[in-house]
Amino acid sequence: MANGTTVRMWRRSLFVLIMIVFFGFSLVCFRLFQLQVVNGEDLQKRAIEQQMADTKISAQRGTIYDCNMKPLAQSATVWTVVLEPAYLKTDEEKELVACGLSEILEIDKDKLLEKAKKKSYYIVIKRKVETDIKDKIIKFKNDNRISNGIRLIEDYKRYYPYGNFASAILGFTGTDSQGLSGLEAYYDKELTGEAGRLITAKNAIGTDMPFDYEQKIPSKDGNNLVLSIDEVIQHFIEKNLEEGIINHKVKNRAAAIMMNVNTGEIIGLSVKGDYNPNEPFVIADEETLREIESLPESERDVAKSVAWEKQWRNKAVSDTYYPGSVFKMITECMGIEENVISENDHLVNCTGSFVPYQGASCIHCHKRTGHGSLTAEEALLRSCNPGFIILGQKVGAEKFYQYYTAFGFSEKTGIDLPGEASDIFFSADGSMTQMDLAVASFGQNFSITPIQMLTAASAIANGGKLVKPHVVKQIIDANGNIVKSMETIVKRNVISEDTAKRVTQMLYKNVNTKEGSGKNGYVAGYRVCGKTGTSEKIGCSGADGKDYIASFCGFAPADNPQVAMLVYFDTPKGESYYGSAVAAPVFAKIMQDVLPYLGIERKYTEEEIAQLETTAPNILGKSIGEARNIVQSSELNPIILGEGEKVVSQIPEPSKSIRKGGTIVLYTDKISINEAVEVPNLTGLSMIEANKIIANSKLNISIKGASMSGGEVVSSSQSIPEGTLVKPGSVITVEFIQKDNIR
Amino acid sequence: MAEERLRGRYNGRIGKETSNHAKVNKDKSRIKKVRSKFKVFSIRSGMDLPFLFLVLTLLVIGLVMLFSASYPNAYYLHKDSYYFIKSQVVFAIIGVAIMIAVSYFDYHHFHKLAFPILGISFLLLVAVLFMPAINGVHRWVQIGAFSFQASEVTKFAIVVSFAHMISINFRKMNTFKYGILPYIIILAPTVILLALEPHISCTVIVVLLSAGMLFIGGVKLRWFGGVIGAIASGLLYLVLFTDKLTYANNRIAGWLDPFSPAAGVDTWQTRQGLYAIGSGGLLGLGLGNSRQKYLYIPEPQNDFIFAVVCEELGFIGATIILVLFAMLIWRGIIVSMKAKDKFGSLLGIGLTAQVGLQVVLNIAVVTNTIPNTGISLPLFSYGGTSLVMLLAQMGVVLSISRTANLEKN
Repeated sequence: MANGTTVRMWRRSLFVLIMIVFFGFSLVCFRLFQLQVVNGEDLQKRAIEQQMADTKISAQRGTIYDCNMKPLAQSATVWTVVLEPAYLKTDEEKELVACGLSEILEIDKDKLLEKAKKKSYYIVIKRKVETDIKDKIIKFKNDNRISNGIRLIEDYKRYYPYGNFASAILGFTGTDSQGLSGLEAYYDKELTGEAGRLITAKNAIGTDMPFDYEQKIPSKDGNNLVLSIDEVIQHFIEKNLEEGIINHKVKNRAAAIMMNVNTGEIIGLSVKGDYNPNEPFVIADEETLREIESLPESERDVAKSVAWEKQWRNKAVSDTYYPGSVFKMITECMGIEENVISENDHLVNCTGSFVPYQGASCIHCHKRTGHGSLTAEEALLRSCNPGFIILGQKVGAEKFYQYYTAFGFSEKTGIDLPGEASDIFFSADGSMTQMDLAVASFGQNFSITPIQMLTAASAIANGGKLVKPHVVKQIIDANGNIVKSMETIVKRNVISEDTAKRVTQMLYKNVNTKEGSGKNGYVAGYRVCGKTGTSEKIGCSGADGKDYIASFCGFAPADNPQVAMLVYFDTPKGESYYGSAVAAPVFAKIMQDVLPYLGIERKYTEEEIAQLETTAPNILGKSIGEARNIVQSSELNPIILGEGEKVVSQIPEPSKSIRKGGTIVLYTDKISINEAVEVPNLTGLSMIEANKIIANSKLNISIKGASMSGGEVVSSSQSIPEGTLVKPGSVITVEFIQKDNIR
Repeated sequence: MAEERLRGRYNGRIGKETSNHAKVNKDKSRIKKVRSKFKVFSIRSGMDLPFLFLVLTLLVIGLVMLFSASYPNAYYLHKDSYYFIKSQVVFAIIGVAIMIAVSYFDYHHFHKLAFPILGISFLLLVAVLFMPAINGVHRWVQIGAFSFQASEVTKFAIVVSFAHMISINFRKMNTFKYGILPYIIILAPTVILLALEPHISCTVIVVLLSAGMLFIGGVKLRWFGGVIGAIASGLLYLVLFTDKLTYANNRIAGWLDPFSPAAGVDTWQTRQGLYAIGSGGLLGLGLGNSRQKYLYIPEPQNDFIFAVVCEELGFIGATIILVLFAMLIWRGIIVSMKAKDKFGSLLGIGLTAQVGLQVVLNIAVVTNTIPNTGISLPLFSYGGTSLVMLLAQMGVVLSISRTANLEKN
């Protein structure tokens, strides 16, 4: 036997050692580096995918508020019921759960049982389950000692507390709370927030690990929207619009938009012929519903989606129409601004028809007998088509298109609502034939959206600035911090302030004089401006002749315009289809409600004041019932004092002058005559405030002073000093002066 | 020592070896002298402490990792988180005791024991074929409460018998009759029996070990060239002209693309192992924080324990463990090379190299560097009997270290 290692053996051993240690270990080390450091992330991702059971935590969708923080769209907690059959060990247990759930949720029991027998950890049974039903399920679980197998996952459901109200603005959401229409769609990202995740580690057989491994990424609730919409005003608009639809048998829905002329804030926007966003897939129009039900089964689906499309469509933004005569206010602006004509310059001698240029076919005026000789102002007041053809020709096609563009008709307004339509002009580059120009001058043969028309009218109202309309005023986060405030965006100056004032004055006359075509838009005490429009519908005529769109666009008050509104009825089939007969009265009614609400001062003309005053009727000796009737029919408020049965005394005395709506105090016995009220302070107040205080004090007011002229007024003195005791019903004379005079 | 080797380098010629150790001429007197080194209480002066220290360090780390890797399985399948670690710790204690005991055992006795052990190996390899198959392979031998892989014995038997024969016929190793033939006679039936189990990984280890020992033993290089050439051409033939080995083919398909395997290929284990390794990244998820061990990796306590190590300790931790293993191999081979005689050298190198090969191959499998084949990680993988046997073999190396020409403190 030999001894120790030889050199060769030593050398070869070293070789083996190097092979194993350097070659072998380096190789595996290199592989580890490759897998862990180079490809680590990818492998880790794959690993996590299989290890993590990821449960979504729904984020609460933001609330939509009106400008006074009244919620218009809210999310409420609901529950998703999930069955986890793998945790249900025995058949009896499965049977029990299926039985219980089918009863509570009103689902077919056999179907549930079938699901319960599957080998699964997650089967959704029912979504959007209300809390009371959830409580029933919890009770069922407790009663039967079922700890695993039924899971309740929190979710949210969208509620629209006012139903149909403002559905065109608000829109609606789908089953996964995703915005599908209206603001819900436009601001979907803001409203949605970020869903959180509950990540639990799962082992390979899908059960939770026995150790706590849970990571919760909390959800971030969506932001809230504060609209410029005022719920009260919106109600006024909706109510009157709906009335208009019924009164004028409007076939194809109606829309109205009200806008703050200075800021572009939309105060109200309503499309009627709407739907309930709580159940957007219910066809709201009963007639349509009957029609669909009468269809054969195969055609119903198509008909349904057409009906949905129609009821969801925001007519005020997504539909285009010929603006018709309303557009004349724009043409008038062009004429004044370009200085081709002045209000009192002779414009036209209307014979009832007009040939715009040699060889052209004749265009009729709506008054076939003709208006005779008219100035530029009179042409607007009488809405004379030939007059505007001449005005258009004076402006010229090139300038006409320049103004068309300047007023924002060739671009979308950029309102923050989805689906805004573009205009349809005669040509893409703005060129027009002579005939195009002739008809365009009075608003025919090109299409614009209602919101474009209103924005342009607002530019006249606010002194020539084209503002960007918007519905959302502020975006605030869940904690009430302001995320974003929408500033007023003035796109450009379209016309000079002077032109704007002059056209405003004409539009004021149009509403407030006997000659004006817009006099149905008149609202006593408020200096309303406006223009009617009756336009033929684009390529569409009904069985009984042509279809029309009746519209009215205007603003108020004339001396300091605040709000502009467009009212628009599509296909009225009542007695009249004219804008003046259909749209103007609705416009007036809405304005009558809205303007006092906005706190805009009434300013009466002498004539109006005369109409407002009445004389106190003689009711001495009448029975109480009789007296009350007489007083009420005189548009006065009776206050009856005393315990007698007949009126023995009255204040004010018979045939004394008293304001309509004033208080007349009737005494039925002598004792009560001695009752007295204290005269309140009536100086330094606006007219509305003074009226309110007077009414509350059982007194009457008589107004003197600067109330008839323009500008804001304030009370400067009262006929009976503050603190004096007077009889109820006494008349206090209050003098008003221009506010500027006080300073 | 260094002087002697230098001298050897100049004077030594193959075939006419002159003794470099003049002090000892007769075996018996040498053994007597050597025996003086096997005093019971001479641990510090006797055996190689770095090697012992490395073994124990790796054993402790291995036990910690085994506990971490095994407790989910233990919990889910045996309702007792300590199911695996309990028995492994017991075996580790027994194993360490046996290792120390064996280190007092004069390894020269293995000269006499070489052929009996080889005989047992063959006996077991034949017997195992009649044992019930587990997962379709016949690898495990059941004796009483213990079960172990027959191949564990085989690997040891090959090392011992080869070391014995090479050291006896060292001068004739360049001849066919003494240098090649006896080894083929031993190796061929062993390989055939292993292939019958089938146990490919062990076959590879046995072949590589044999080759390594013969190489060190002085077999002419042309033989290796011939064998490598034969194996290469055989493989080439299999690859190019047969598709009979569908099992192997499927394996290779799964190996090449573990993430989107073709139908009929199960790459679940490989895939899960790779996920675990990748999840670890540079720094790992922290001890005990593996997620892949939760029933994703099948039997994470066995062959794929290193995947869990990688996931929990990261690239840095895994590398440190690999370096410790490398140091163990390095030290083991250095110690063996300095053994007093060729038998000790060959025996030590063979046993150490076996550990090294197994570590490299195990990690190569776990990292999908080579196709998946059952191979456990020494000192880490679960298995009491095999741990005890491994520690006993380390005891042999320690025994060799007692007589080696090492500087000892």
